[in-house]
Amino acid sequence: MSAQPATVARLEITVDGRSVHAVPGTYLLKVLQEAGITIPTLCHHKDLTPTGNCRLCTCEIEVRGKKRLVTSCNYPVREPIAVATQSPRVQQHRKLLAEMYLGRWPRVPVIQEVARACGATDAERFRSELTDESPTACILCGHCVKACEEFIQERILDFAGRGIKRHLTMPYGEVDPHCIGCTSCAYVCPTGAIKIVDDLNGPVDPVLIRDHGMKINAEMATLDRSQCCMREVGTANIVDVMDAYDLLPVHNYRFGKHVDTPNIDSKRLRREFFTQKMPDGCWNGCSMACAKTIDGFELRTGPYRGQKVTVDGPEYETAAGAANMGCFDAEFLAEYNFYCDTYGIDTISFATTMAFVMEAYEAGVITKKHTGGKELRFGATSETLAVLHEMAAGSGFGVDVGKGVRWLKEKWVREYGADRAFLQDIGMEVKGLEYSEYVSKESLAQQAGYAMSNKGPQHDEAWLIFMDMVNNQIPSFEDKAEALYYFPLFRTWFGLMGLCKLIWNDVVPADNKKYRPQEAAKVPGHVLNFQKFFEGMTGIPLDEKTMIDQSARVHNLQRIMSYMLGRGTREHDMPPYRAVGPVTREEYESRQDRYDKQLVETVGVDIAGKSTEQKMALLREYREAQYNKVVDAAYERRGWTRNGVPTRERLRELGIDLPEIVAVVKDAW
Amino acid sequence: MILVNDRDRVPWHAGMTVQDLLGAMNYTYVLITVMVDDVLVPQEDYHHREIPDGARVTVFHLAHGG
Repeated sequence: MSAQPATVARLEITVDGRSVHAVPGTYLLKVLQEAGITIPTLCHHKDLTPTGNCRLCTCEIEVRGKKRLVTSCNYPVREPIAVATQSPRVQQHRKLLAEMYLGRWPRVPVIQEVARACGATDAERFRSELTDESPTACILCGHCVKACEEFIQERILDFAGRGIKRHLTMPYGEVDPHCIGCTSCAYVCPTGAIKIVDDLNGPVDPVLIRDHGMKINAEMATLDRSQCCMREVGTANIVDVMDAYDLLPVHNYRFGKHVDTPNIDSKRLRREFFTQKMPDGCWNGCSMACAKTIDGFELRTGPYRGQKVTVDGPEYETAAGAANMGCFDAEFLAEYNFYCDTYGIDTISFATTMAFVMEAYEAGVITKKHTGGKELRFGATSETLAVLHEMAAGSGFGVDVGKGVRWLKEKWVREYGADRAFLQDIGMEVKGLEYSEYVSKESLAQQAGYAMSNKGPQHDEAWLIFMDMVNNQIPSFEDKAEALYYFPLFRTWFGLMGLCKLIWNDVVPADNKKYRPQEAAKVPGHVLNFQKFFEGMTGIPLDEKTMIDQSARVHNLQRIMSYMLGRGTREHDMPPYRAVGPVTREEYESRQDRYDKQLVETVGVDIAGKSTEQKMALLREYREAQYNKVVDAAYERRGWTRNGVPTRERLRELGIDLPEIVAVVKDAW
Repeated sequence: MILVNDRDRVPWHAGMTVQDLLGAMNYTYVLITVMVDDVLVPQEDYHHREIPDGARVTVFHLAHGG
């Protein structure tokens, strides 16, 4: 073993004669507060950019023998310094300022508190015609201006006038119609000068909802730029991540990365395509504002050819869909994004279906004869757009493609004599829905997360990959079953409540690291926010079990409806093998080290002298058995039979064992 | 040797930092939590905190997107 790990990333500074350690670049006020030292301030707010307006946090610092006063809230510590927080000069400065504040706003509690802390007791010294006797007077701290700008990215409020005429206002002194009533300003106001006077929708506890919403606003303002950059690039940031982790679907999910990904990743989109450098949320006032647009994009094909349009996106799944079709071309990406939106076609289903068509074309399952003369190889951008336009017009090969992967498989087997098993392996659909754009091959839990979903492998079921494949945090079947219980039910719950998924885990509280991985994955602070939104609206407190049980009732009813429709049993939870392991020789060889290692170390077979095909067969046997084991474990955890049907006991436990429901499934027991 | 996430074995070298390990694993994700022998390592220390030989390291990626 080596010596103890060394921590050398901190500066040593002296504060009032004692040694304090600081991360370089941290503002002095924060360093002092973390050291347990109380510094008076009026204009500082932990979630807003410090400005040093009130100057009460002034401290005296000594750098290389020279002393000077600085406002600690916006002074970054970059070198060893000596700090005096209570020197006579500092005390005199603070007392004078506090008396001035006290003279102007003598009855405001935060002013009185600061004055006491600074030893200012003379409220008469600076009394004048400006003195405001209201205990809820505006003290011009600027919190509301900053919150409007940084939480919601608006500029509804600002200061006008100079010196003693400085005051808070909306543009031209009128109520700005762009104000969406987010109440950020009221939330940060330290005096009560700004109040909420209207509660739309009649929530039981609007303050509870407001307070938890503001936590998210503050996190977006302070953490997003160092986390997912949702405000800057939206979900397109995930293209870069998935490619780096070998999880980006390429060529119909055969591979997980590609050398040409930089052509369509978030860096390129941000640099050359996204045009609106302003918030663009799904709804006015969203502080995440992750929707992005490309303005003035000139279309090259289709009915609007030559026109300049605004493209709403691209989001991750759309960009990843381009990778799945092998179309690493940002202009193509923007055009396919625009036309899918304009035609009302889902970009995910289109891309996954086209990727299947392309693989089938390259494998010789279909030819130009079937595609109307189009050579539909991976990367065929013009031909792909032609199919999209045909689909919208209801003509040519596009009509077939518009019916999806399941339908195409059946037609090609029935009419062209295609190999059913091969098409089943590469046709990425379950329950008739095309897969969303994540490679699940190396994550057993994600394979089940997708295929066991009631609605099919939709993109909001895609968050078990890292937990399983990268973190190895759910190694046993029981662990995976628990994840396959909690996460789909949690997802169902907040979907039912109409809550956006993105504020759950696309920004994460700074203190989430205090939880162990199993709990951290749930982002407990944000689950609590959701529960408080529910409580604030309804007045009903929620804990985790109550929340999950609410969801489980709906989830089990969905399963029973699937059963009624003939899709609610085990055979319909089976994924195409492409979602589980390598179907083709080139797929195996692209990750040969990983697969060989699994065969040797996990399966325990001797691979010496074995051909790639033999190894593929062994791997398939192992992985399909593993998949079935995880399904068994997940069914048991969910209270379902081995055939995937909710048991009588489970229905009774959830209070949904109604006679008409029991009648639907009793034959399956 | 360092054991990462109770699964992956990574060769250790003298002076190896948390950032060196993340680089060796090609872990470029932003929402990462690192623990060395069950002790949380602050992000600002990744470039400086040395990992002892034989350490058990947890590199936890918090999912987003989807």
